[in-house]
Amino acid sequence: MIQLFRVSKSYGTNKALDDITLRMRKGEFVFLTGASGAGKTTLLRVIFGTAKPTSGQILIDGINLSRINRLKLDLLRRKIGFIFQDFKLLNSKTIFQNVALALEVTGERTALIRKKTSQALKAVGLSGKEKAFPLELSGGEQQRVAIARAIIHEPMLLIADEPTGNLDPDITKEIMILFRSINMKGTTVVIATHNRELLKDTGQRVIILDKGRVAEEITA
Amino acid sequence: MIIRLWIYFFKSAFSNILNNRLIHLISIGTITISMLLFGSFLLLSMNLNNWIKEWGESLSMSVYLKNGVNEKAKKEIESAIKKLKGAEIKGFISKEQAMINLREGLGDQAGLLDGLEDTVLPASFEIIFKERRNYNVDPRSIKISLEKMEGVDEVQYSEQWMQRFEGVMDVFRIVGLSIGGFLCIAVLFITSNTIKLTIYSRKDEIEIYKLIGATDWFVKIPCLIEGSIQGLLGGLAALLILFLAYAAISLKTINIFGLPVINIAFLSIEGSIFIILLSLTLGFFGGLISLGRFFRS
Repeated sequence: MIQLFRVSKSYGTNKALDDITLRMRKGEFVFLTGASGAGKTTLLRVIFGTAKPTSGQILIDGINLSRINRLKLDLLRRKIGFIFQDFKLLNSKTIFQNVALALEVTGERTALIRKKTSQALKAVGLSGKEKAFPLELSGGEQQRVAIARAIIHEPMLLIADEPTGNLDPDITKEIMILFRSINMKGTTVVIATHNRELLKDTGQRVIILDKGRVAEEITA
Repeated sequence: MIIRLWIYFFKSAFSNILNNRLIHLISIGTITISMLLFGSFLLLSMNLNNWIKEWGESLSMSVYLKNGVNEKAKKEIESAIKKLKGAEIKGFISKEQAMINLREGLGDQAGLLDGLEDTVLPASFEIIFKERRNYNVDPRSIKISLEKMEGVDEVQYSEQWMQRFEGVMDVFRIVGLSIGGFLCIAVLFITSNTIKLTIYSRKDEIEIYKLIGATDWFVKIPCLIEGSIQGLLGGLAALLILFLAYAAISLKTINIFGLPVINIAFLSIEGSIFIILLSLTLGFFGGLISLGRFFRS
């Protein structure tokens, strides 16, 4: 699903990623961890195509990111769900509108958008909150809206950057259960976190980054 | 799918306009003023052209007589004029009548003529050639032949003045085109900046759209519709104001160079459509320019 060949990314003289070669299989559940500044977010950004690597090649589902144009990248993003650390919700739109947006950009039928949005909100336990605005919800609820938006189009790959960073332990547990259920349906899940507690007894593959390099890998 | 997307684009464009009412209102107002100036030039130019065309259809000629011309020579001149194809003598203006006409023409300033003799102006035959093109009238050869006759001092015809006026019209057209071009650039600048402001106010929103897989055109099309709507509304408002101004002015008789001008026409359907389409196109391209800049940055 994801292949990285000798990927490096520099911001000026600072090397955020240093010669990373990785492979993540279809349907895999992978944790990326490491201290702050280890390169977790940068790695997710180069995989998602919001940052270009300084060198190296990235293949997503066989598509080389350095060889596709802007339009093809937009279309590829429709197959990937990204959950941002800061949720990236539109505060002027309702919860329903925020989630529906991911299908609206594809030109999907209105009836289908309504049906799938309701299903996605139900899956994250937010039925009944459709008309609320993001700022009327708690942090955990906003995170679930972001998850609903990321999974509404049944992505082949789900990427989450510190998805539980601002949440209390109970909600964290709920969110992780949600990710596992999404993974069970065949979606490849990649989660970046610095929360070591989250990794305990998961039985999943863990990649530990340090100073932009893969320092250690714990296989499932 | 295409119809659904276009419904979405229009909804999005109208929603953006409503959310940024003030900025759009200012922009539409500025476009209205620009298009009003442009439309006024077009209206003036069109009417002047019409008047020239109408005046050109009929040719008027004044045959001035020498002082002390005898009756025999006067009769010969009159009969020579009557023999001209298409010519009609509107009247004979004696020296005294010429002075009375001048006094009337000067109105309140007729006092300037006090002290002058009543016979200082020449007598003249006033001729009009109607449907001159049917008779193939050549005013220059008529002038030459009449001026050769005994008792004729000078022959003047309206076309001489017309030719000079057409020269002025050429200058007017060049000035009009230059101002029109300048106004078009101004409208482009205004629309592109308004759209730029609305795009930048929605920068975060656009970023989110892009992150969830929206194509560039998905973001661009509503902005282009916004620009076009601004242009369209500005053009329509300008046309409405221009029509109201025309309706108010056309109720009065206007004098240009002392001549009463009665038939003032409004812009033709084509002219009106041209203004609206021009305004809409400028709005569209204004949006396109700002989007180009935004996506490049």
